[in-house]
Amino acid sequence: MQEDNPMTPEDSTLAGAHSDPERWVDEHGDYLFKFALARLRDPLKAEDAVQETFLAALKGRTFAGRSAEKSWLVGILKNKIYDYFRKAGRETSFTDLQFYDDEESDRFVADGAGKGGWIHESGPQEWLKAGESLDNVLFWKTYRDCAGKLPKNVAAVFNLRELDGLESREICALLNISDSNLWVMLHRARMALRRCLETNWFTKNG
Amino acid sequence: MSVWNKLKSGCAAISPNCREAVRAQSEALDHPLPLARRLGLRLHLLICKWCRRYGGQIRYLREAAHNHQDQLTESAPEKLSGEARERIKQQLRNGK
Repeated sequence: MQEDNPMTPEDSTLAGAHSDPERWVDEHGDYLFKFALARLRDPLKAEDAVQETFLAALKGRTFAGRSAEKSWLVGILKNKIYDYFRKAGRETSFTDLQFYDDEESDRFVADGAGKGGWIHESGPQEWLKAGESLDNVLFWKTYRDCAGKLPKNVAAVFNLRELDGLESREICALLNISDSNLWVMLHRARMALRRCLETNWFTKNG
Repeated sequence: MSVWNKLKSGCAAISPNCREAVRAQSEALDHPLPLARRLGLRLHLLICKWCRRYGGQIRYLREAAHNHQDQLTESAPEKLSGEARERIKQQLRNGK
């Protein structure tokens, strides 16, 4: 039985291998760059990572499914970023125990009967309309600004854990850090981010 | 409640203070807490609304980050520079 396989107008404009990868750059270049920049914090490194991603994609291209194209490219980019972190973890210490090392000690009772308890006025506030915030572009700008205040290595472990969902064990292996140091860094990242968003978003727009 | 039963059976679950509890809640997001610590934390959270709130908020941040990555990424203002864009396209033309 003969298969009917007409080329759609879309296919015909893509015919010719050279137009495909260049279309990737036009369609996905900015997104990949934003993704890489958020992780690597350096525009030149981000450009390199994006370039390597497209080159690797060119070699490994096995399908032309448009809808999954972006995820596929992001997957390659993530691995490039992980390679970068792995190398960095071997060359220098990824551990940062300086950031937020007081862990907001001024917000807890220092001495006496209630030692270690939240000082009431300093305790976590109620976050009203928290769900709605997630659809607000200004919230994400605030989130990005707050995350941007985390030092590089702390932000990196936070992203690996919370954005990518890597397990503690995987992050420790990738970055060559101990699990106890990882957990301290994550605790301080969460504490700082929570405080920043509370101050700059939830108690302003609640 | 099973927590109270365990107390009654003599399990020595020492309840942390808030500083320790917020640390424990964070760690609980990254690895299973040992039983004693988990029970102590649970006890503390029964009576401390501030720490309950803290825990809810760090979990909210986790879900926000994890489930809205597209929005988070897209919201950044930066773009691939024209020069980089052309350089990459050139590399791809050479590389294929």
